[in-house]
Amino acid sequence: MSIRTLILIIINSLIAFVIVVLAFSSYKEFSNVLNDRILQQLNSIKTLKKNQIEHLIKSEWEKFEISEFYTQNWDSALVRLPDSIKKTNGIHDFTPYHVAKKTTIGFVLNTRRGTKIKILDYNKIKNILFERTGMGNSGESYLVGEDCRLRSQSRFYPSTIPYTLSVKAENVANAFQGKNVATIRKDYRGIEVYSVGSRIAIPNLKMVILSEIDVDEVTMPLKKLRERLAGLTFAIFLLAVMLSLFLTRIITNPIKNMQKSLKIMAQGDYNQTNEFIKNSNEIKEMFEALAHLKTSLQGAVKFSDDMGKMNLNTEYQLKSPNDLLGKSLLAMRDKLIEFRNNEENTRILSKRMLVNGMENERRRLSRELHDGIGPYLTSLKHYIENKVENEKMKKEMKKIVDDTIAEIRLMSNALMPASIDDFGIGVTLTNFIENIKKSTTVTIVYEDLTQQENSNITNHQAINLFRISQELINNSLKHSNAKNIRITLSEFDEFISLFYFDDGIGFDTNSIKLGSGISNIKERVAICNGTITINAVARNTTFEIELPIES
Amino acid sequence: MNEIKVIIADDHKLFRNGLEELLRKYDDIKIIKSVGDGIEFMNCVKNQIDADVVLLDITMPNMDGFQVLKELKTVNTTIKPVIISMYNDGNYIAKCAKMGAYGYLLKNTDESELVLAIRTVSKGKKYFSAEISEKMINFMSTQSISENILSNKETEVLGLLSKGLTTNEIAAKLYVSSRTIETHRGNILKKLEVKNTAELIKKATEMNMI
Repeated sequence: MSIRTLILIIINSLIAFVIVVLAFSSYKEFSNVLNDRILQQLNSIKTLKKNQIEHLIKSEWEKFEISEFYTQNWDSALVRLPDSIKKTNGIHDFTPYHVAKKTTIGFVLNTRRGTKIKILDYNKIKNILFERTGMGNSGESYLVGEDCRLRSQSRFYPSTIPYTLSVKAENVANAFQGKNVATIRKDYRGIEVYSVGSRIAIPNLKMVILSEIDVDEVTMPLKKLRERLAGLTFAIFLLAVMLSLFLTRIITNPIKNMQKSLKIMAQGDYNQTNEFIKNSNEIKEMFEALAHLKTSLQGAVKFSDDMGKMNLNTEYQLKSPNDLLGKSLLAMRDKLIEFRNNEENTRILSKRMLVNGMENERRRLSRELHDGIGPYLTSLKHYIENKVENEKMKKEMKKIVDDTIAEIRLMSNALMPASIDDFGIGVTLTNFIENIKKSTTVTIVYEDLTQQENSNITNHQAINLFRISQELINNSLKHSNAKNIRITLSEFDEFISLFYFDDGIGFDTNSIKLGSGISNIKERVAICNGTITINAVARNTTFEIELPIES
Repeated sequence: MNEIKVIIADDHKLFRNGLEELLRKYDDIKIIKSVGDGIEFMNCVKNQIDADVVLLDITMPNMDGFQVLKELKTVNTTIKPVIISMYNDGNYIAKCAKMGAYGYLLKNTDESELVLAIRTVSKGKKYFSAEISEKMINFMSTQSISENILSNKETEVLGLLSKGLTTNEIAAKLYVSSRTIETHRGNILKKLEVKNTAELIKKATEMNMI
């Protein structure tokens, strides 16, 4: 689950919970208040009516008391009163005794002059009860007898005899016990109503007055409120969702960007240059840390790249004392340098051994030719001198032998002049160049500035200097069209310098092959731990070779 | 007429035999001994063998011709060494001459010259043919051994320095590297016991070196 969804769910469920609780509790509070207000209003209406009725009845009773007619002003055929009623003075509910069960309230007074009975005009009571100010559309007040049957006409069933309608409710019973009741219950129609009631405070007249109003009507605004609340809740929730969406965007976008950046970096690309909006300090710092990480990784990558290219002189700055990557990279570099040096040493050593072996072989061959074949040829010459009689033939044969000896001498010198071992490099080069001068028109000037006695040039250096000079002269004669060659070999306390100059056409130091002559020279300088500087311009080609004095 | 008593010192028996046979034709020359190396020859010398000339090869096992020449100077003998070698380079010739050789012959020297050399040397004269002499002189002429405090090269550098040339200019002129000139300059300063070029010029002028 993404962080955005998580935040959305948490925020919105929290908001939804708060809204619902608030709405529910305010609704509940409102409905309670409403209930109380309604019941209070009903109660005041009921009390008013009760007082009116009581007043009416009492005033009627007083009028009845003082009236003097004893004639029966009631239809005994319609109301069959039992004697017990007739003997009891007071106001009575005659309804149960009415033939048609019409609501009837009667007065009974027994005096010495006889029994007075009067039926109260029901319409007067009805007028009081039907006054419905403050009762809304469904409010009504009515009277209930002891038998729980209605005594006043229902406004909902105007044609039904009230006596036939009965209320079965315990608050009627409670009201008869003198309690004021206020409750919500089902009325005679079976509809939920707010109901208040109390007993009419007239002895013998066992009646309860009830004022009721339909719950539906009362709760109409409550329903509206509920709908509005629901609407409001929904609107707030919608707003909350939108707000949280916006909010999560603000929070999660940088995180997503960071995730994107990190993903790219995880794939090994540290060169991405995405710019992101940084809308808070934390995010800014986070991105700065990321940028820092990126630069240090880039540094490490660049460093490793240099390592890969064997640029081992590259430096790497540790980012902190805990930069483990940097430390291991540096360790790797040091190892590589060590390996490279070892390899270089091994390479030079093996090259030196190879060259030494080759030179020794040349020396052996040279000696073999010179000291082995040479004497045989001289012996042959002696033999010819001694044995051949024919003078002409003798002369020719001697000439052939002499030429052969001269040739052998040349070969031997080219292979390895014995001079090198016996006289050192200075003299050997002198001889070598003297011999070359015989076969070329190029002016070669050689200056020998080596120590005649006590030279510190080793035999190994001497051989390599000789080969280098041989190669250089050979190149000049073959390729450069030089008119002049100048060679100076100087020996000092610290180093030996071989300076070579020709005024030929020069060459390109980068591309020249010269039968790998130049690279051979460089190899030989390297195995002598020397340095070489080549300056190959036309008319002024120079080679500066320096070897250290080893002793 | 006295016979010239000759010893041959060479490690090749075939060569020695050939030489002996060659010289046998000459009545005035007698080969009295033939040895294979320097030690054997020196033993003969130390045994007071009576000989006039030794034909001495340079390249020999155990003790070579150069060592023999050196040794001969330390012993009391009248044997005159004549080098007979395959080497025809000036440096060999010059070295042998310097070390006391009476003559220098190439091994493929003609019979007549060989005999002439033996006869000349036996009279106490030195014998170097025209060809050998030229080689020797050519070689010696390239050797620049200076008797002065400064070497020839150093004197040359000093001269150019006094003319106000820079190191690079001198290097280009003398066909050496700049570092070589620097080193020469340093060596000159050291030899004349001065600290810088200005002092050097002053002192060199005083000493009439430039």
